[in-house]
Amino acid sequence: MEISQNLSLMHLILQASIPVKIVMGLLLLASFMSWWHIFIKMFSLKRAAQNTDSFEKEFWAGAEVNMLYQRVSQNREAAGELERIFEAGYSEFLKLRRQAGTSVNVTMDGARRAMRAAFQREMDGLEAHLSFLATVGSVSPYVGLFGTVWGIMLAFQNLASVAQATLAQVAPGIAEALIATAMGLFAAIPAVVAYNRYTSDVDRLSTRMETFMEEFSNILQRQAAKSAA
Amino acid sequence: MNPALLRDDLAAGLLAAAVHVFFAVLLVVGVSWQIHNPQPVMADLWEALPPPPRPVPRAAPQPRPVPPPQAKPEPEPDTRAADIALERKKRAEQEKLKRQQAAEAEKKLREAKLKELAEAKRRADLQREEADLQRRMLEQSMAAESGQLRARAAAAQRASEVDKLVARYQDMISARIRGNTRLPDNLPGNPQVEFRLSVLPSGDIVRITLTKSSGNAAFDQAVLRGIEKSSPLPLPADRAAMEKFRDLDIKHKARE
Repeated sequence: MEISQNLSLMHLILQASIPVKIVMGLLLLASFMSWWHIFIKMFSLKRAAQNTDSFEKEFWAGAEVNMLYQRVSQNREAAGELERIFEAGYSEFLKLRRQAGTSVNVTMDGARRAMRAAFQREMDGLEAHLSFLATVGSVSPYVGLFGTVWGIMLAFQNLASVAQATLAQVAPGIAEALIATAMGLFAAIPAVVAYNRYTSDVDRLSTRMETFMEEFSNILQRQAAKSAA
Repeated sequence: MNPALLRDDLAAGLLAAAVHVFFAVLLVVGVSWQIHNPQPVMADLWEALPPPPRPVPRAAPQPRPVPPPQAKPEPEPDTRAADIALERKKRAEQEKLKRQQAAEAEKKLREAKLKELAEAKRRADLQREEADLQRRMLEQSMAAESGQLRARAAAAQRASEVDKLVARYQDMISARIRGNTRLPDNLPGNPQVEFRLSVLPSGDIVRITLTKSSGNAAFDQAVLRGIEKSSPLPLPADRAAMEKFRDLDIKHKARE
């Protein structure tokens, strides 16, 4: 056993045993994926908030509902979440009103269901991959700990075959093992922070959408009652 | 897929890679990893200083001058008026005077003799001292001249002593290993295995490396176990001899 050891980072990683290396690779992958999703979510949530803001502003500024509907239905791909909900509800409302003999209640229920369905779909899109961040945040410390425990076990096993045990013989093994824990924490901390941040963002967006749905239902109901009368 | 979303994904991937590269650079550059190995420091401890301390010539004690004996004051002659008594007394006095003079002369003679003796003694002392000093100076110059020669001779003698000591301890070590080795049964021939040991000054074996296998793994293992069992090895107390045992090559034959 060599007593003088290089303790540089690359040396420690390359010296590690195969299971520890696998653990390190997994953690690096998890870290990369979680950062990727962090940035994707950052962009998509920012855009969703911007779209919602601008649509709400436009809507409450007193724009004509029919014109808004025309614009949104022509350009569905570029529409924001709230616009799509609005579009789904209003199109269902128009269809039901065109059918003769449907009561106001039935029309309103249909429109509300359509909006609820669109809302669920949008929420699903917004919440996608958040569970991945949660998983990385909760599991990768354990994975890193496993790598560390394995590395320390090996270090002590090597020590057992040496007559004279010195610190210099255990230290490199423990250092290389502890790198696994460090990597696990490195992957977990941003994932947990991002998960908490994004969940609250999605919650706030969903509250705004639900509020809008209720208010829009009221507007539709008024319209339906007016036309029925 | 939406081209805007695809662009987002790409940008996110690049950013994630950038974050990892940033952290890796921070780790490699920012943290000063322990890369250099401090070289072991060698220090020689001397049990005795090499040049013997020079004898300082001591000044011989000066002979103490003998104090001159003081002359006794002469008693005053008694003058009492009485004829016969005076006559007798006169005679007696004369006799006494004579005796006194004789005693005085004798005393003087003795004193002179004593003085002479002391003088002679002092002179002899001085002479002896001088001779001593000369001899010592001569010795010193001789020692200075032959110091190197003598040192070389001493070193050679010491080296041979160390060699003898080393040989004796090598025999002791190999005997000990032989005693601790249990040879495997049915060992064919007389195989020889070579090990290299790293030994601490305490005699503990730090490392055993097989430098030349005998070709018989069981025998190698048996000798290895024997060496392990022999730790700590008997080492000479002499430092120079002990140095020879730091890296010890051991050839072990199954039978003598």
